[in-house]
Amino acid sequence: MTAPWVETDTTAGALATAAAIGVAFGVALERAGLGSARKLVGQFYGTDLTVFKVMFSAILFAMLGAFYLAQLGVLDLSYVAVPETWLVPQLVGGLVFGAGMATAGLCPGTSCVAAASGRGDGLAVLLGMFTGVLVTGLVIEPLRGLYESAARGPLTLPGWLDLPYGLVMLAVVAIGLAGFHLAERVDSARAARAARAAGGAP
Amino acid sequence: MRWPSRRRWLLGSAALAGALAPFAGSPYRRASSGHGAQRAAGAVDVAELARAVADEEDHVSAVELAAWIRAGEPRLRVVDVRTASEFAAYHIPGAEHIPLERVATARFADDETVVLYSELGVHAGQAWVFVRALGHRRAYFLRNGLHEWLDDVMSPTIAEDAPAEAQAAFERVAELSQWFGGTPRRLGRSADAAAEQALRARRRGC
Amino acid sequence: MRARPYSDPYVTGACLGLVLLAAFVITGRGLGASGAFATTAAGLTHAIAPSAADANPYFARYLGGDGPWRDWLLFEIAGVTLGGFASAWAAGRLRAEVERGASAPRRARLALAFGGGAVMGLGAVLARGCTSGIALTGGALLSVGAWLFMLAAFAGAYLAAPVWRRMWR
Repeated sequence: MTAPWVETDTTAGALATAAAIGVAFGVALERAGLGSARKLVGQFYGTDLTVFKVMFSAILFAMLGAFYLAQLGVLDLSYVAVPETWLVPQLVGGLVFGAGMATAGLCPGTSCVAAASGRGDGLAVLLGMFTGVLVTGLVIEPLRGLYESAARGPLTLPGWLDLPYGLVMLAVVAIGLAGFHLAERVDSARAARAARAAGGAP
Repeated sequence: MRWPSRRRWLLGSAALAGALAPFAGSPYRRASSGHGAQRAAGAVDVAELARAVADEEDHVSAVELAAWIRAGEPRLRVVDVRTASEFAAYHIPGAEHIPLERVATARFADDETVVLYSELGVHAGQAWVFVRALGHRRAYFLRNGLHEWLDDVMSPTIAEDAPAEAQAAFERVAELSQWFGGTPRRLGRSADAAAEQALRARRRGC
Repeated sequence: MRARPYSDPYVTGACLGLVLLAAFVITGRGLGASGAFATTAAGLTHAIAPSAADANPYFARYLGGDGPWRDWLLFEIAGVTLGGFASAWAAGRLRAEVERGASAPRRARLALAFGGGAVMGLGAVLARGCTSGIALTGGALLSVGAWLFMLAAFAGAYLAAPVWRRMWR
């Protein structure tokens, strides 16, 4: 049977599958070190570019995997829900979210991993996140105009740019690999400086 | 700067997969029994659409549409979803023909206002759901279809003994009607007008 | 500072990508996190003030269908928490700690963590998701809004980070 296999989202089987996928997700996040606020903020202070490497690697592999599974006929990509585009809310929301993330040091998913690892700050972020969502949801009415502006539906880059899917993917891969190259240079330069400093200490 | 071999294998295969990708064609095609049918996946937020209907933000009246057309409303697209022969027989001035089955692949620019119509409004209402599901927000339909256009714009009527406000409103509609080459009429008595309205209403659906 | 033996980021990233791909293949949807918070907020509001919750356009979405508690993301996030715990335990990384710079006060760090979380909540509501739901899932599916959100989020983070530099000294 062509993938996706599980149809509805709320049957007991689907919810159990959700939990199982979540466990794998949590393990992957923890092993990548993203459950550590110190590591996460390192990205934005230029000291530890793990966040970029992990996120972009994940995107690349999922993107390529989905593409080739669809080409092989194993996965029917039109049944995979593409997150919708709302240009203005996602631009504004993104900026706000990023500022909050740099302040908190964790994102919603990683805050759960951090809290589960015993980090008090992880728990604080979790509670703060819940409060923020609750309050925003309660007072969403005056923001309705912004919230519902510039909707574009499930718009993809190849659709928007009117370019072949594979070509856009190649561009993403190229950008990713270039980014990884730069990230490695930055990180190893920093490691070399640290080693020199340690070696030079009396 | 040395990269461990596992990392090199991983990133190397990603690079290869990326390089081969442009030669593969679109991933969005029928996975199983291919008879090349086109699939246009849309996302239906039923609550949102239901709210649009309840708030009456889903339709426009024929008179409103007529005013938009006459005012030269920019980026207005009037879409006739009936069959080609019905369209050829008569269509709203300036309308374009996109039959219902082709609505799925129609593309509208984000700043275009789309007004869909059909004979009685049922197919136009369906087309409205399709267009909204495909992500285009500024979509409306003519709730009572072409019949509403013919009745309210091309041959509007009013009873001679109707109240002053109704008469004033009728004047404006009459002027609009004449611009489209319609024939506004004053009927003798309220009873005649009522009978006329009843006749029209029976032709319409909800 | 003790060295943390984390795995190679590209390998763990690829594994994370495989989890995401598994989600696509098995369930036809991607990962997420903020939705779980939203459905919980909707459910709690409904428990306390049912009519207010039903009237709220944002919460109404989560209250329909099978209710706010039979939510895919809620179960997924429960799994994330469990998986994070198991992995930390297996690697000896379970530790009661408030991560911060050596000279940063504990209270301030906790306050900022909470405040930053609240701001993220606002951003996530506006954008309809967070880094997991939008950036990872939408990024892999080449959604325009996802890439826009990702760039904006990184920009916002780089702009805000210098303000809190003292927290990490």
